[in-house]
Amino acid sequence: MRNFIKIVALALVLALALCLAVIAGDYGPWYFAWLVGTAMIVLVAAAGAVLYEAQEGARGTTREE
Amino acid sequence: MINPTVVELSRLQFALTALYHFLFVPLTLGLSVLLAAMETVYVITGKPLYKEMTQFWGRLFGINFAIGVATGLTMEFEFGTNWSMYSHFVGDVFGTPLAIEGLMAFFMESTFVGLMFFGWERLSKPAHLAVTYLVALGSNLSALWILIANGFMQDPVGARFDPNTMRMEFTNFGALVFNDDAQAKFVHTTIAGFVTAAMFVMGVSAFYLLRRQHRGFAARSFRIAALFGLISSLAVVTLGDALGRLDYLLQRPKLAAIEGLWHTTTPPYAPEKIFAIPDDETQRDIVSIGVPYVLTPLVTHSWTTSIPGIDALERAAKPKIVKGIAAVTALEAYAKTKSPAALAAFRKYENDMGYGLLAERFAPEEDLNKIAKRDLPSIVNRTARATIPNVFVEFWSFRLMVALGFAFIVVFAFAAYWSLKNELEKHPWVLKVAMWSIPLPVLVCEYGWIVAEAGRQPWSVYGWLPTFTSASTHSVGYMVFSLLGFVTLYSAFIAAELYLMFKYARLGPGYRGTAAEAVAPPPAHGQPGYADRPWE
Amino acid sequence: MEIYAALKVIWALLLGFLLTGLAVMVGMDMGVGTLLRFVGSNDAERRAALNMIGPHWDGNQVWFILGGGAIFAAFPTLYATSFSTFYIVMIVLLFSMILRPVAFEYRSKIEATRWRETWDWAFLISGAVPMIIYGAAVGNVLQGVGFHFSWDGQYYQDESFIWYLLNPFALLCGVLSLSLSVFEGGAMLMMRGEEPLYGRARGFAIGGGSLAALLFVIGGIWVQFIKGFAYFGPVDPAAPATPLGGPAVVMREGAWMDNFHAHPILWLVPAIGLFGMIAGPLALAARRPILGWWLGALAWIGTIGTVGGAMFPFLMPSTTKSSQSLSVWNASGSAYNLAWMLAFALVFTPVIVAYTSWAFHLMRGKVRPQPTPGDEHLY
Repeated sequence: MRNFIKIVALALVLALALCLAVIAGDYGPWYFAWLVGTAMIVLVAAAGAVLYEAQEGARGTTREE
Repeated sequence: MINPTVVELSRLQFALTALYHFLFVPLTLGLSVLLAAMETVYVITGKPLYKEMTQFWGRLFGINFAIGVATGLTMEFEFGTNWSMYSHFVGDVFGTPLAIEGLMAFFMESTFVGLMFFGWERLSKPAHLAVTYLVALGSNLSALWILIANGFMQDPVGARFDPNTMRMEFTNFGALVFNDDAQAKFVHTTIAGFVTAAMFVMGVSAFYLLRRQHRGFAARSFRIAALFGLISSLAVVTLGDALGRLDYLLQRPKLAAIEGLWHTTTPPYAPEKIFAIPDDETQRDIVSIGVPYVLTPLVTHSWTTSIPGIDALERAAKPKIVKGIAAVTALEAYAKTKSPAALAAFRKYENDMGYGLLAERFAPEEDLNKIAKRDLPSIVNRTARATIPNVFVEFWSFRLMVALGFAFIVVFAFAAYWSLKNELEKHPWVLKVAMWSIPLPVLVCEYGWIVAEAGRQPWSVYGWLPTFTSASTHSVGYMVFSLLGFVTLYSAFIAAELYLMFKYARLGPGYRGTAAEAVAPPPAHGQPGYADRPWE
Repeated sequence: MEIYAALKVIWALLLGFLLTGLAVMVGMDMGVGTLLRFVGSNDAERRAALNMIGPHWDGNQVWFILGGGAIFAAFPTLYATSFSTFYIVMIVLLFSMILRPVAFEYRSKIEATRWRETWDWAFLISGAVPMIIYGAAVGNVLQGVGFHFSWDGQYYQDESFIWYLLNPFALLCGVLSLSLSVFEGGAMLMMRGEEPLYGRARGFAIGGGSLAALLFVIGGIWVQFIKGFAYFGPVDPAAPATPLGGPAVVMREGAWMDNFHAHPILWLVPAIGLFGMIAGPLALAARRPILGWWLGALAWIGTIGTVGGAMFPFLMPSTTKSSQSLSVWNASGSAYNLAWMLAFALVFTPVIVAYTSWAFHLMRGKVRPQPTPGDEHLY
């Protein structure tokens, strides 16, 4: 039951996001670009930090060897 | 009668308070998103360093946020206190996005910002992350609605003037929200805020790296900010081009002023002026250096279209001014007599009524009915001259904004490259440039505001309501009182803000603040007030 | 066109709702600010007091901003005219209000005693002054304001500003609103505070609530002798909204009581207010701060409802050209605008109430002068 509710909630969020994307994409191309672009900027910046941790990890391993 | 001194003082006060407010807004916009990015890493990796990172930059965010909120209050009320005719004339459509901003965005931002600061111990990790994202979303949605309102001033769509209520009435919600100008300006402004915040975080981190302090913390913050800033600074230029094109399509006097075009261009040779000293008085350049064949494709996206110069724009305005004068006199007659004939006369020229209002300040006793026939040509000429914004201000604000904007891309590119290679400390000049660049994006944002708003002059609502007509009918004494108060208060605020920013940036991450002074167990080793940080 | 009249009435009610939200939520924070120097005898106690409303003051303040925005959009002519005619008062209000966010954020960031003392004074000013001005402004509006419009809709002011501030009835209203805010602030301090803060706040709040009850009764009697305003002849509520060329308005003593005489059920509203002002202090005396706080909110509802009930449909009457008095009928936005705004308000108001309640629920509990480690970002 819990899982079912989760799936329904996720589906609703997805539907909302799709609606938003369709409306923004049709009438507000720049708004759409902002939504996609900002998400990308955040993800790239976060990925940079994760990469940093990977680099640190690699350096740590080489030193140990 | 409108007192020109009061109008000038009202403009001065609005410009001062808006520019001042806008010193803090871009950082709030960008830092809220950057905080969300940092906390995302915390939730993904689970490393406490990223929690500390979010909290440290959050502390600086808080110092900045408070003053942004305080000065924002002024903006919300200044339309009513100083621009009564404006508020009456467009309140039906301009007030709506401001109200929705409060309802939809500002409430969200302000409620969750409290939880963001106070809720670390009471919320689960994902819940707190969601709160941080809501703060970021709220502050950017705020910007959205404010810029939708501003978009209406630049390009008044979605409303129609009603002679019965003497104001513009709201007719199309979709047109207001999806106004091209509002769209492009929203993206341009918020992303400029991202650049500001990225430079801020990067610069402060560079300061630590140069001093070999908090290195693990600073290198990671630097990495996130550099990547964040690199993409943002690229995006902001794209949007700048889109806005320039909109000005070409919709606000030709602004574009002509930005490019310093005294005369209509001859495509495709027309040079893009790189350096010039435009003189508004004589309408020519004292010095001018340009690159040929650049301007036409840049602005028109074609090789053959000519761009109208200021001389042509003034010529084109003259018939509108004559029709506008007829429209406004008919409107006044209709207001006083309600006669259908006067209404019909108004309807004939109603789209030019703004130009009639613009002519009022040059008419005898500011009354269009008192213009003698032989004086009409000279009044029309003076009004036509008044339709052009200040070229010197536009020309240079724009050039400084663009030059620095491109410089940021270079700075972020080098910073990101050396950060990704983890060789920042071998290249201290990158760090030094990053550190000294902290205030520059703020300056650039101010230039952007000047280009957009000074370029809109002489209108408060482009083509419909002149700034001169918009002001409240105060006495000079009122204005002196409020101006003195604002200057005093705001000077004190900026001094306190800068002092605290420097103080808390110097103290660095890990400082628990005076908050815990009463409870923090005396540290057994190391500096007082600092927690143990194993990653140092 | 009937719909337009209905929309105007709905927005008048929503404006009342917003002003009540503002009075309750912002008033509570301002009460805490006013009491700060008196309930906290040392720095630790004052910091505890600030941190009780610390997570919420910013969200609460949006009621004020939203109030301004809603007047701008729903009653543009009222916004344009009232803010300008009350210029000096509005600017003083603004100056005192912008001190507050800065005071919260900056006060405890530096340890120097003089710095903190200075900001504590700022809290007193930014708590007491705005509440007095809110009340005094309402008091002045009840007596009418001197302004008129030219043909193009520009307002002109007919009287000097000193008059607006300094008249006994307006001052009474100002003190009434200050005492209600002290009551709500005190109740909040009791909810989240411990002795000795608790006891001191209790004393001030009981005093504030009782004084409010007394002033409310005096004000109610006084209003009978004030020249109120009433439409003379028929009015078309659905007419296009413009203050120019409106129907005649008469000024006469006791006109503000007309609505109460016409609809006796309206007497319930002041009764509710008075009940809140009397029962509130009793609840605090019985050490029931949550109940007391809600009774204080009821007192606000009653007070603002009474003013609204007396004045309806007037919003800001003019003493110098009474036919241009601003009312719900002639100062509102267009039907299209009011409808869109209503749609947004219907969607977002419940959402706001929901997350605000959640935020209060999440941050519930006592705040102690000796903070526990892990309490982040204490003011």
